[in-house]
Parts: sequence; C-alpha cells; structure tokens
Amino acid sequence: MRKYLIKRFAYLVVVFFVVSLMMYAIYNLIPSDPALVQMEPLRKTLKPDEWTAQYLQLRTKLGLDQPLLVRYARWMGFMKDVDGTFSGLLQGNFGYSVSYKRPVVDIIGTPMLNTILLNFISTILTLAITIPLGIYCAVHARSAGDSAIQAGTVVGYSLPTYLVGILFIYIFAVLLRWLPTGGAKTPGSTYTGTREFLDRLYYMALPVLVLVFTGLAGMTRTVRAAMMDTLSQDYIRTARAKGLREKVVVYSHAWRNALLPVSTSIMGWMISVFTGGSLVIETTFSLNGTGRLYWSALNTTDYELVLAMQMFYTLVSLVGVLLTDLSYTLVDPRVRIDK
Amino acid sequence: MSKENASSAPKKKEFFLLRWIRRAFFPNKELDIYAEEQLQSPFRVVVKNFFSMPIAVAALFIFICVALFVFIAPHYVTLDLGEQDSTLVSLAPGYDMMNYPRELVENGVADISVGPNYSIGVDQNGTVYVWGKSKVTKIIDIADIPDEIREAKIVQVAAGSDHAVALAEDGTIYCWGNKRLGQTDLPFELQANNRNHRLAILDIQASNQFSSALTEDGQLYLWGNTNFVDLDVRTQLQGHIKGVALTMNAFVVLLDDGSVQNAGYTASSTVTKVPENAQSDVVAIAGSTNSVAALKTDGSVVVWGATTKGENLVPTFDSPAVEIEGGRYHYVARLASGELVAWGGNRYKQCEVPEEAQECGVIRVFSGSFQNYALDSEGKLHAWGLKGFILGTDTLGRDVFARLVNGGKMTMTIGAVSVIIQMIIGVILGGLAGYFGGAVDMIIMRIAEVVSSMPFIPFAMILSAVLGTKVTIEQRMYIIMVILGVLSWPSLCRLVRAQMFAQREMEYVVAAKTLGVKESKIIFSQIIPNVMSVCLVSITLAFGTSMLTESTLSYLGFGVPLPTPTWGNMLTGANNSLIIQSYWWNWVFVGAIFGITCICINLIGDGLRDALDPKTSGR
Repeated sequence: MRKYLIKRFAYLVVVFFVVSLMMYAIYNLIPSDPALVQMEPLRKTLKPDEWTAQYLQLRTKLGLDQPLLVRYARWMGFMKDVDGTFSGLLQGNFGYSVSYKRPVVDIIGTPMLNTILLNFISTILTLAITIPLGIYCAVHARSAGDSAIQAGTVVGYSLPTYLVGILFIYIFAVLLRWLPTGGAKTPGSTYTGTREFLDRLYYMALPVLVLVFTGLAGMTRTVRAAMMDTLSQDYIRTARAKGLREKVVVYSHAWRNALLPVSTSIMGWMISVFTGGSLVIETTFSLNGTGRLYWSALNTTDYELVLAMQMFYTLVSLVGVLLTDLSYTLVDPRVRIDK
Repeated sequence: MSKENASSAPKKKEFFLLRWIRRAFFPNKELDIYAEEQLQSPFRVVVKNFFSMPIAVAALFIFICVALFVFIAPHYVTLDLGEQDSTLVSLAPGYDMMNYPRELVENGVADISVGPNYSIGVDQNGTVYVWGKSKVTKIIDIADIPDEIREAKIVQVAAGSDHAVALAEDGTIYCWGNKRLGQTDLPFELQANNRNHRLAILDIQASNQFSSALTEDGQLYLWGNTNFVDLDVRTQLQGHIKGVALTMNAFVVLLDDGSVQNAGYTASSTVTKVPENAQSDVVAIAGSTNSVAALKTDGSVVVWGATTKGENLVPTFDSPAVEIEGGRYHYVARLASGELVAWGGNRYKQCEVPEEAQECGVIRVFSGSFQNYALDSEGKLHAWGLKGFILGTDTLGRDVFARLVNGGKMTMTIGAVSVIIQMIIGVILGGLAGYFGGAVDMIIMRIAEVVSSMPFIPFAMILSAVLGTKVTIEQRMYIIMVILGVLSWPSLCRLVRAQMFAQREMEYVVAAKTLGVKESKIIFSQIIPNVMSVCLVSITLAFGTSMLTESTLSYLGFGVPLPTPTWGNMLTGANNSLIIQSYWWNWVFVGAIFGITCICINLIGDGLRDALDPKTSGR
C-alpha cells in the first residue's frame, strides 16, 4: 500500500510539473515584454544606442534573456532568481496581479473560501438527495416514478449549466421573487456573526440550487445504473432466497457493492464541478469565487493571476484523480494494491 | 458468409433512409430464430434494436429535423454581421407591425403616421388607432391613448420615436407617450392656442423626441428634446414657412418662395447644407433618418444629406411625382399616374410596392420607418414593408431568428468538427496502444492521463485567450474546434484501447497475422471497424458534450467571439433579470432549441447503448 501511495504521489508530482511547464510555455506565447514596457517612456529622452543598451541591460536584469526552461525553473523556484534568492511558486510566491496591484496570494483567499463553501454545500445536498433517489429508481426500475425521474435526469444533464442558471433565475428570482438574482450579500449591509452567515447562505441559495439540479441528474443515473447492475447479481438472488428483508438486501448487500463505481464518478463529478461548473455558476450569479476571479483575470489579461489559478486548478484535479484511486481501496476490500 | 451476402444483396439497393423508416415503422415479419441468426449481422441487430425504441427514434427524428433546419435555413435567412438598428431594439416576436385595425379602413382613413415600430391612424370620425410594437418602456405604451384624445375629434396624427402628437379639429394639440425629455412640453403659443383656438394649425410632425407644428400663416413651432437638435427657428423666416421636414437630428423648412432653407441657427448636420437645385421651385419636402428629399414643380426629386443605403439614387419617373414620403432609409414617391416608386434601403422589402397597390390608383401614401401604407381611391389600404420579426430582436436590434439559425449552424459545425478531431486522435492512439501494448501503451496512456487530468474549461479558456488574440474570427473558430478536439480525446482513446485488448486475441486477427497482413492494416481495416459500433455511443455523446462545451466557452466569452452568433454567445447577456423577464425572447427560443438538441443527442446515445448491450435485448 505504501509503495503504491509513493508511486502514485511521485506520478502526481511529475504530471504536475509537466502540466505546469506546458502552461508556462503557453503563457509565454503571449507577446508581452515587461522590459519594453518599463523602457518605452525613456525612448525619447535617451539616444537610440544608449536606449538599446539600457534595454538589453534591463532584460538581463529581469532575466528575460534566459531560455524558457531557465525562466520556468526560476518561476517554479528550482533555481535562484535574478536577485540570488529562491522566490518561486514552491516558496509561496504566486506572482503579482497587475489588475489588483497586490500579490496573488492576498487575492485568492476570500474567493477560494466562497467557492469551497458553495461546492461543499451543493455536494452534501446533491449526495443526500441523489443516493436515495438512485436507489429508489433502481429498486423500482421501469415503474412510473422511475420513468418520470429518468425523464427529469435526461433533461437535467443535457441542459448546459448556464441555461439552468438562467431558467432558475427566471423561476425563483423573477417569477416567485424568493431569492436574489445574484451577488454575494445584501448590498450595503453591515451584518455580523450569524446574521452575516445567513445572509450569505440566502445569496448562495440559488447557485447551490442550480449546482444541485445539474449534479443530481448525472449522479442519479450513475447510482441507478450501478445499483441495477448489482441487483441483477446472483448473490442478491441468493440473499432474497434466504428470506432476508428487502431493506437488508438493498442497503446492505447491494448498495455496498454498488458504491465502487459510484465513488469514482462522485470524485470525477466533484472535480468537474469545482473547475468547470462553479466557474459558469459564479459568472452567471456574479459570486466572488475562484471561477469568477479566473474569468475576470483572463478578461483583464492579468496573466500572472491566471497562471497561479491554473496551477491551483491543475492541483485540484490531480489530487482528485489520486483520491479517486485511493477511494477504490477504501470502499472495496477486493481491490488490493500491493504492487 | 457468401450465403449471407447473397441474401442481403438485393436489399442494399434500397435507399438507406427509406430502409430505416420502413424498419422503424413497418418492421419485418418475425423470422424464426434460425433464419434470423443466419441473416442478421451484429450491426443489423443493433440497428433493429435501436429502431425498436420509440423514444430514441423520436429523438433521432427531432435531431435530424433540427440539423436539417440549421444547415438549410441559413441559405435563406442570411445574416449580416454588422447589422444593427437602434430603432429596432428589443422588439417582441410577432408579425403585427402592419396589422392595422379594420375599423380604420371601414370608417375611412383620414391620416396615418408611421413611427419606428408602431403606427398611428385616425379615421374620418376622428378616432385614433395605434398598432404595432407600441411599447416604449415597461410602463409607457403609445397604445394607452389618453381619454381626452379619445373624446376629441382628431384630424391629424404624428408618430415620434417614443411619443405621439395628435391634432384635433379645433386646433388643439395633444401629446402622449414618453414625457421625460420634454416631448410633451408644448411651446407657450400652442398652450395658449389649446385654450383659445386662435391659430389655424396646418400640419404636425414628430421625429426623434421632438415635434413640429406649422400654422396656416407660416409660423413654425418646435418642441421636444433639445439634446439632438437646436429647436430655435430663425425669426426672419417665421411667417414664410410652407412646409417642414424633420430628420433624426435636424430639420429644414420650405419657404413660400419655393426654396428649402436651414431654419435653425446651427448648421452642423449635412441635411442643413441645402444643395443649389433645391433652392427654388420646391413644392414639398420629406425627411428620412439623415437625409431630406425635395419634390420640385417639374415633378423631379432631389435628395441630399447623409445617404448610406442608396436614398440619393432617385430612379427616373415615367410621369411627374406629386407626393413624397420618407421612411427610415427609403423614400416613396407617388406619381401623377397613380404609380408608386420607392427607392433606398430595401432590407425589409420596404421598397417593393405590391402589384395591387400599383393598379388601384393610389391617392395618398404614408411612409415611415420600414413600413408603407397606400390609400387607394376606394378607401382601401395597401401595406408593405417590415411586418415584424418572428422571434423578435435582441438588445442591439438584430433579428433573433436569423441569429438562432446561423448560430445553430456554427454550434453544430464546431461540435461535429471537434468530434471528428477527437475521433481521429482517439481511435489512432487507442488502436496503437491496445494492439501493441507494452511500452507504446504505457506512453500513450500516460499522455492521455496528463491531458485528461487538466481541468477542461479553465484550460480551454486560457488556450482560447492566448491563441485567439491576434487572429481573425474565422481562424478563432478553427482554434476552438481544435482545442475542443485535442482536449477531449482521452475517453475515446481508453474505450478503443479496451476494445482492442479484447479483439486482438480473436481468431480473425490471428488468422490475419498468420496470413502475413501488415499490422497497420490489421489494426485499422480489420479490428477498428469491429470496434466502431461500440464507439458510436461514445461519439454520439461526445458530440453533445462538444456542443455544450463550445456553448459554455462562448457564453463565458472565450469561444466564438461576437458578433458571429452561436447558441452559447447568444445567451451571454441573458443573465440579468431585465432581459430574463422583459425581453424573454432573447433567451427562451435559443435556450429551448439548444436544450432540445442536447436532450435528443443524449437520448440517441442512450438508445444506441441499449441497442448495443446484449443484456437488454432480452435473449
């Protein structure tokens, strides 16, 4: 087990560096030259050859004349930077945001908390609904209730998230006027403590609802399919033949075994929601989360922030894949990893 | 094998769609199980299974309809990317812009005035009618005619951009509609006249938030929003004015000596620079958006001003013109013979005078905006021009239907091309990995893992942002297709690889190897065709996913850039409550057709999966 863990972890690290190198290379495709930006105002005051000399000097000073790999290593923190110290990503220097005029580290705290809260609530809610629902559908397969739920899930997972968002704004904010259309808190409010938290939940309700609805559809289908597969196994027939109660058969015999494929897709789903789904939701509902931050950073061409966020997303999805593999061993004792 | 081929040969002549339809709706007679086993190849079983599922067949049918619609309709509904019109913004769906009330014609038309998207008419009894898109804002509606106007006997009406003016028989002038910018603030003299009725008012006109009234003794009064136009009339001209023409932001007058003059103190507009040949012998003038037409005594027409859509290209008339009317980008002239001639912008067929109007002997013509009404000697009205938009217009005045059709074509094309790209990459790499195994498999699968572990949407966004900065719109579309294809091949690759593992141990592969068939040939022409049917499900679903991803990227602003429409970027601005509620046609139709398409694709995919899965076929 330990050997497997180490192997997986080493693999994660390698992939992370490969992806980050790719990202850095893409980032360097952008035709931008900080040295030129700094030197441009001086072009008129200096003689041309003097200016060129100073410009080249500045490029050396900023380390721009080095090849891509060297710059990458410096940015990552493998090599000493031009000032002679290690100050890369690994040392906690995520770069400097041009649009916020602050280090990236200071900016991403609050949005990340918001996104985590949003995803946490919606994941809990989705799982709480989807597992009983999926089991119900599998047990009562091809009944009227199952067919209705199946039809609903097809609609749910076919519609793009933003369309569901617009639809829900129309229903809950415009028609029924129950929930606000967007934002993170009541404008101009100075609530504290519980009141603030409740206000935040109130504003988060609609995004959570959309995420739960879109997540519900796909997950319910997965749970149903896994359960139906398990329920058709011979040992379920045996269990029933033994005269066990239906509840015991379904929840103890079948569900435990159905959990294996379900747990994989739960992790996959959570990653996709965290990176893709919440990005759409946050821009639709103008929530201050990582997705919206990433979106606005791309729009304002604040590329150091974009790069840092991209690294964060990559890390999240890699760790997610690792956790998926590990969850196999946790839920299924048949899967032994001693290799 | 040969027996099977011989028996199925005559059937192949039938056109495949016909065959499918026949099989879907008129299934073959039940064969006994041995005959069936012999006759049906696995692919045919799949097709038969698929067509036995009514939901999947219905979904396929709807999808084919949508696809045909989206690929054929753009040939007829062309899209002008630069097209937008500030007067056609956010119009509700419907073809009601020229549906004049029957009572108006029955009681005899006294006057009609055409506003941007609505028209006002008054009949011989003095009753005012409003039709078309008369809603100016959520609250203000021109069709809400005030009671005093309903009671008064109106003889003349004038429709402005967001207000309307009516002249009663006794000379009282009424204004209603938007009041915020002084559209209804009558000048002092007219207010007094409303009480004592001393002035004999000849003519009223209304334009872009300002209006004019002309008296019999040549006095011109102007009122309204002075931000667009300076409404002061030169005092030395007062008393000599015979006619007035209003454009969007200027006005000129016709004097009693037959010359057209700039009556204001400013001469900023091109309209106020009156050319030489309009300085004399003019009998009537008419205004358009940014140009003016003058009708001369000899029946010829002179047009000047900023003419963008050919308003100045006056055709030659067969007989002298006797009446001239101006629309938004066109003019209509009535000739002495009763014939109507129209020229200028013809995007909404506002210049195509109907045949029956030409033949009936028209006695008056009313034009404005994109609509025209001709009154013939029998009192009948002939209308032509812009009827409306079937799905309304968006917040920039663009036709939603045209964008929906062309956007659908774009979305589907991008989805299809990216699926083809991912199919090519996935099948080749998956085939190689599965067939050879070992080191090749290791390398390919590691690459696949790296690609699939990258967060999809954020990565596609940054790629699109970085690669798409200095390219044309068309190149950017191709970039989006490639990005989608290149990022989503790993799932198909894994599927092909797993299938390859199973297939490469089969007898036919061993036989091929023994015969000395080249390995590349074994993979791509022996095994892959057998694997493709299983991949079909994955490909179908991938098509839906690609469309979804493209639209999500476009929605976020990192896909196909505006103004090129896709179903995604048509919904970009729709996440605010004003559009969601008041301008629902901006998102409902595109949302509905996109949703239906995606649902159909998923249902087809599910149907194929069930058809391929022997567990569900009940044997």
